[in-house]
Amino acid sequence: MTVGLEHYLIVSALLFSLGLLGVVLRRNLLLIYLSLEMMLNAANLALVAFSRFNHNLDGQVMVFFVITVAAAEVAVGLALIVALYRRRQSAHIEDLASLRL
Amino acid sequence: MSHLNAIGLEIAVLATGLALLLLDLWAKPGQRRQLAYGAVLALGAIFVASFAVSAPEPRLAFGGLYVLDELALFFKRFFLLAAVIVLVTEIEFAERLDAGSSEYHALTLFALVGMMFAASANDFALLFVALELVTVTFYVLVSYQRRRTPSLEAGVKYLILGALSSAFLVYGIALVFGVSGTMNFLHLTASPPEILQSPLLAIGLLLVLVGLGFKVAAVPFQIWAPDVCQGAPLPTTAFLAVGSKATGIVLLLRVLFVAAPAVTARWNHALLVVAALTILYGVLCAIPQRSLKRLMAYSSIANAGYLLIGVCVGNTEGVAAMLFYLGGYLFAVLAVFLVATLAWRGTDADEIPGLAGLCQRSPFLAGGLTLAMMSLAGVPPLAGFFGKFLLLKAAILGGATHPGLYWLAGLTIVAVVISLYYYFGVIRAVYWGENPADVSPLAVSWPARAVLGLCLFGMLWLGLFPANVLNLAQIAAAAIKF
Repeated sequence: MTVGLEHYLIVSALLFSLGLLGVVLRRNLLLIYLSLEMMLNAANLALVAFSRFNHNLDGQVMVFFVITVAAAEVAVGLALIVALYRRRQSAHIEDLASLRL
Repeated sequence: MSHLNAIGLEIAVLATGLALLLLDLWAKPGQRRQLAYGAVLALGAIFVASFAVSAPEPRLAFGGLYVLDELALFFKRFFLLAAVIVLVTEIEFAERLDAGSSEYHALTLFALVGMMFAASANDFALLFVALELVTVTFYVLVSYQRRRTPSLEAGVKYLILGALSSAFLVYGIALVFGVSGTMNFLHLTASPPEILQSPLLAIGLLLVLVGLGFKVAAVPFQIWAPDVCQGAPLPTTAFLAVGSKATGIVLLLRVLFVAAPAVTARWNHALLVVAALTILYGVLCAIPQRSLKRLMAYSSIANAGYLLIGVCVGNTEGVAAMLFYLGGYLFAVLAVFLVATLAWRGTDADEIPGLAGLCQRSPFLAGGLTLAMMSLAGVPPLAGFFGKFLLLKAAILGGATHPGLYWLAGLTIVAVVISLYYYFGVIRAVYWGENPADVSPLAVSWPARAVLGLCLFGMLWLGLFPANVLNLAQIAAAAIKF
């Protein structure tokens, strides 16, 4: 069996859906954040696969941008989550309730 | 060399931000304020210089990634003007930050660079990078008062929902790229019809619109706006409501009308429903609010809906009306936040009844807030009235071909009448509020006075003599070929 574009796309869609499920169902900020990274990487996989099978390098270049931006996002995001943890001693989203109507 | 010329304005803003960061190292604590005023002057100079640039013919740079046309220039000027006013608000706010006021200003400038690049995006790669530059910078700006729990919480909420929306955006870009084999907007438009009809392309574009809808705060991606706006520092809320929203709008215009007009034409009904729901949600949820920031957040959602009317109309008149409306919105919203920053100096209060007695403490601030609220409510002869009038006119003229627009126009009029209630609630608190906590006169620094005067002048000028700005908006809208 040869592995074709559709296989990559199915894996990518599965990863994306798993990530989305994680974001919706998980209650811990760090795990939510990990799931978000998984969604980004699902998109990266799709980009690379399209790029490889369409013989067009634009997608690969885009992946570099996505990885760089995701790294910046993680740096800021983890700093924020740690700062919040220090104040609240908790990384659960139920505790993010001081801003309500 | 011509490529660097094309991004000259962005380079100038970036250099200002970097210079601010560097000079801060040598500045004594007392000099930080002067340094920040220097940045304001530099931005003002860049704003004036931007009128020396014109682009009657669109100029492409960096292999078609970047386009300099009149639409991009309009938005660049818009962002620069907003940043000047926001920076002055930040200087007044700086005493409430624990440390790092210069970094706060510098981050605002970096967000501004992202917005200016976004205005010129002609390719999904630049769209993504510019949008993320704005979003990641705003994560930091929103949670800048990190000793205040609400500010941190707002930052984390914005982070999670922002990252979620960028994941959708990237996946959408991947699908669009996979189907069409290009990321360039102009190449995508020129694709053969069988590609443009492909359902996978439509799904990809839909996911891209999720990412942009988040920035604009359109229903159903508006969930973050009230919490984030309430928790964030006042100047950041102002910049979120004006700059970040306008970034979403300009990218929406580019994607809908430059990249995929053929797909957009099929989505007209969905856009109408989104605009109508956004207006209704914003207006109805604003009614019971007591916090001024939360009220402004819901008002910004409602205004996103009004702006989307221009997108629904989908012709040059509609877009020109939308751009004009954005201009009026900028002056009114930034005036509200400047007055709020000055009135609540030294406290973290943001309850509307806390504005009681402002008319005795400073009649100028009270008058400014009143005019801004009246402009937002759409009372003639202010900018907000004329902007809404133009949008309604475009919608009713467009209704001949697309009857749904009549309904949208009717809904808008109802929404404007409802919104009078909560905008005038603020004015009532200022003049007839009971039990003022503090009646000592407020000292207002002259730059803040000058900038508030500029906002008031802008609101009156756009309302009484709309011809100049409307002309600019029409030239900008003509850059999109419908």
